[in-house]
Amino acid sequence: MNDLVKDWSSDVSTFKIRWSKAMMWIFLISDTFIFGTFLISYMAIRLTVVDSWPDTSQVFALHVGGTDVPLLLIAIMTFILISSSGTMAIAVNAANKKDKRKTGIFMLLTVLGGIAFVSMQAFEWTKLIVDEGIRPWGNDFGAQQFGSFFFMITGFHGLHVLIGVIYLSIVSKRVLAGRYDGIDDYQIVEVAGLYWHFVDLVWVFIFAFFYLW
Amino acid sequence: MQDAELNQTFYEGQTIHHPKSWLTKYVFSQDHKTVAIQYFSLSLLTGVVGVILSMVMRLQLGFPGLFDISPDTYYQSITMHGMIMVIYLLTAILLGGFGNFLIPLMLGARDMAFPFVNMMSVHFYALSVILLFASYLVPGGPTGAGWTLYPPQVLLPGTPGYDWGIVMMILSVAVFIIAFTMGGLNYVTTVLQSRARGMTLMRMPLVIWCIFLATVIGLLAFPALLVAGIMLLLDRLIGSSFFMPDIFQFGQHVTNVFGTEYEGGSPLLFQHLFWFFGHPEVYIVALPMFGIVSELISCHARKNIFGYKMMVWALIAITAVSFIVWAHHMFVAGMNPVLGFFFATTTLIIAIPTAIKVYNWVLTLWKADIHMTVPMYYAVGFIFTFIIGGLGGLFLGNVSVDVELSDTYFVVGHFHVVMGISPILALCGGVHHWFPLITGRTMNNFLGKIHFWGTFAGAYLIYIPMHYLGLGGVLRRYYDFKGLAYVSDSLHDMNVFITLASIVVGLIQFLFLFNIVWSYFKGKKVEKNPWKATTLEWQTTTMPPGHGNWPNKLPTVHRGPYDYSVPGASEDYIPQNVPLEAETEGGSSHE
Amino acid sequence: MNDDTNFKHPSFYPKAEPDNSHPISFYLIAWLVLFILSALSYYIDYVNLEGMVRWVLITILALLKAGLIVSVFMHLAWERVALIYTILLPPILLIVMLAIFANDGNAINVLRYSLS
Repeated sequence: MNDLVKDWSSDVSTFKIRWSKAMMWIFLISDTFIFGTFLISYMAIRLTVVDSWPDTSQVFALHVGGTDVPLLLIAIMTFILISSSGTMAIAVNAANKKDKRKTGIFMLLTVLGGIAFVSMQAFEWTKLIVDEGIRPWGNDFGAQQFGSFFFMITGFHGLHVLIGVIYLSIVSKRVLAGRYDGIDDYQIVEVAGLYWHFVDLVWVFIFAFFYLW
Repeated sequence: MQDAELNQTFYEGQTIHHPKSWLTKYVFSQDHKTVAIQYFSLSLLTGVVGVILSMVMRLQLGFPGLFDISPDTYYQSITMHGMIMVIYLLTAILLGGFGNFLIPLMLGARDMAFPFVNMMSVHFYALSVILLFASYLVPGGPTGAGWTLYPPQVLLPGTPGYDWGIVMMILSVAVFIIAFTMGGLNYVTTVLQSRARGMTLMRMPLVIWCIFLATVIGLLAFPALLVAGIMLLLDRLIGSSFFMPDIFQFGQHVTNVFGTEYEGGSPLLFQHLFWFFGHPEVYIVALPMFGIVSELISCHARKNIFGYKMMVWALIAITAVSFIVWAHHMFVAGMNPVLGFFFATTTLIIAIPTAIKVYNWVLTLWKADIHMTVPMYYAVGFIFTFIIGGLGGLFLGNVSVDVELSDTYFVVGHFHVVMGISPILALCGGVHHWFPLITGRTMNNFLGKIHFWGTFAGAYLIYIPMHYLGLGGVLRRYYDFKGLAYVSDSLHDMNVFITLASIVVGLIQFLFLFNIVWSYFKGKKVEKNPWKATTLEWQTTTMPPGHGNWPNKLPTVHRGPYDYSVPGASEDYIPQNVPLEAETEGGSSHE
Repeated sequence: MNDDTNFKHPSFYPKAEPDNSHPISFYLIAWLVLFILSALSYYIDYVNLEGMVRWVLITILALLKAGLIVSVFMHLAWERVALIYTILLPPILLIVMLAIFANDGNAINVLRYSLS
C-alpha cells in the first residue's frame, strides 16, 4: 500500500517501466474491453433468444476412429496455444539474460505454435461451414445467432493470433539479426510477449464461455 | 550547436530528428505541435460542414417546403450533423488538438512518448473524415438513422442509406476509433511516464488531468462502440441477426442480404452497447472543457484554483461514475423497468462531483482580481451555460419526468446546451488563450467579444425556446409538423424564430474562423507569456516553442500549477519552474 | 537535484529490476499446471456435468487459468503494486456491464415467452 501511494505521488514516471511496456499494458486493457464486450453481448443474446442454444459438444465433435469425440480439436488448439505461451515466457526469460540465440529460437517456436493454431482454426471453420452447414444466418442445431457469434468471436481472436504471428516473426528476426543489442535490453521481446500471452488469455475465456458453457 | 544538442538522445532510446523537407515538416511531421495543429484545422473544417448541415435542418423546420429539402436529405443531415459534431469535431479537437498541444508542453516533456504513433493517429483521423464524407458518393447517400444508428431502423428499406451509407459510416467510425486509440495510448503513456522532474500528478495543471482522464474514459468506452459497429456491419453484410428481431414490413418478413429472414436478435442490446460508449463520450467531451475553463479562470482571475485536490478527486469520481449511468438514455426504450431506478440514481449521483466543480470555479472567482479578457468572457459564459444545461439534465435523469420529455425538443435543447454551446465557449476561450503560444500573435479582442456575445446570447434564443417546444410536446426528428393538431400555431412561430436565431448564430461562428485566419497573419505580435501564466507551456525559451520544446535541458518543477497573487512575490505570479529559494518571502507554494 | 548529468529517468533506469531470473523449470511448472487445469475443464464436458455445478466449475477453472497466465507468464505478480492495481481495476466495469446486460437480456427473454 505504501508503494502504491509512493508511485502515484512520484514525479517523472509513475510505473517506472519502459514507455513501450506501459503502452502495451494500457492497450491490453482497452483490448480486454473489446473482447469482454464481445463475450458479454454473446451472453446477452444467448439469454434473449427463444430458440434453444445448440449443444456445443455435439457441434464441435470430431469423428475419430468410429466414435464422436466431443471438442477434441478445441482441446488440441487450447493445448497448442498454452504451449506457445510457455515458449514465449521462456523466450522472454532468455531475453532478460541477453541470450540472443535462445530468445530467437523460442520466439520462432511460438510463431510456429501460432501458425498451427490458425491453421487448425481454418480447418475447424471449413468443417463447420462445409460439413455441418453452419451459416451466420442459421444452422440446423438451434438459435441462428450461434453461427454468427462463433464466426465473429473466433474470427476476431484468430485475427489477433495472426497479427501476433506477424509481430513476433518481425521481432524475432530483428533479435536474431542483433538489432536490439545494447540499446533496449531486449525489452521489446517482453512487450511482444505481453501481447502474445494476452491472446492466450482471451482464448481461455472463449474456450470456457463459448465452447464449454 | 543547439541542433547538435537536441539531436542527442534525450531519454535513452529516443532521438529527435529535425524535419528537413516541406513534406516531413507539415504532412508527415512527428512533432506534437504540428500534429495538434493538423487536428485543429481538420476538425474545424469538418465542424463547418456540421454547422451548414444544421442550417439545412433549421431551414426545413422553420419554413417547411420553402427550400425544397427532401425528407431523405433532412434525415441524412441529422445523422451527419450529430456524428460530425460529437465525434469528428469535439472528440478530435479537444483530445487530438488540445491534448496533443498541451500535454507535452505542460508536463515539460520533449514530445509525446511515441511521436510516430502520434503522426499515424492524425493520418488515420484524416482517413476517417474522408470515409465519412465519401458516404455522400455511395448509392443512396449517407445513412439517415440518426447519429445513434439504432437498428432495426438503420437497416430497413425506407431509411436513407440503409444499404451502403451505413457501411461507410461504420467503417469511418472504426477508423476513427483506431486513430483515437493510437492517440490515446500516447496521451496516457506520456502523462504517466514522461513528466518533468518535480512534476507529480498533484502538481499537474487541471487541464492535463482532464484530458488524461477523458482519454482513459475513451480507451475504455470506444471498444463498446467498435463491437456494436462490427456486429451491425455483420448484420448488414453477412446476414447475421445480432440486432435484428423478427420484423415485418408491409406484411413481409424482413430479409437479410442473402434473402433469408432476420430472426431473434435484440435491438436493445445495440442500444446498451451504444450508450455504454455514448454516455462516457459525453464526459470525453465534457472533461477537457472543464479543464480548459479551470485554466482560464485561474489564470485570468489571478488566483489559485479553489480546492485543487477536490477538483481532481471530483474528476476521478466523474470518470468512474460515467460508466454506470448509460441507460438513462433508454428509459423509454423498453428495457427492464427495474434498471430505470438504478440508472436514475447513478445519474443524480454524478451531478454531485459536477456541482463540486462548478462551486469551485465560482469560489475561485470570489474576491479575485478578475481581468475581463476575452478568455474570461468565454469561461464565465461557459459556467452559466453549463449550469443551465445541467439543470435540464436533472429533469431528464428522473424516469417519471423523462417518460414525458423523452424524444421531444426538450432533449434536443438540453444536449445542445451541454454538448453544443458549452464546448464552443470553452473551445473558443481555449483557442483565444493559447493562440499566442501557437502563433506568437494575439487574436483580435473586438471580434472575439462580438463572437462571444453573439454565441452566448444567441444560444439562449435558440435553445430555451427549444426546451419550451419540448414541454409543448413537439417531437424531435420530425421532418414536418404541418397538419399535426397538437402543434399549435404559436409553436410553429417559435420554430420560425429559432431558425432565424440559429442562422444568425451560425453565421457568427464564421467570425471566429475569420478571426483565427486574420490574427494568424495580422494579429498583434506579443512577448513571451502575455497572460502572465504560471504553467510550463509559457516558460519555454522561444515562443512559439521550437521543435523539442526546450532547447537545452528540460525544466524542473518546484511548485503547484496556480501560484497567482502570491503575497510578497516580486510579481503577482510565480511560474512552476521557479525554485522555492528564488522567491524567499513568497515561499508559500501550493502543492 | 538540478544536476542533469546525474539524472536517471526512472522509466529507463528502474531502481530495482523486477525479479526476472526464474529458472526455466519455473515456467515449465506453470505450463504444466495450465495444462492440467485445461484438461480438467475438458473433463467436465467429457463426463457431462450439467447445470450449476458445471457453470461454477468452468468459471473457476477459467479464472484460475487466467490468473496464472497474467501473474506468471505476463509477470504481473512481480510488477509494482501501482501497475497491478491500474490493470486490475478497470475490468470491474465489465462486471457491472455483465450484470446489467444479463438482467436486461433475461427480461427480454421473459417478455418474448409471455408474448408467444
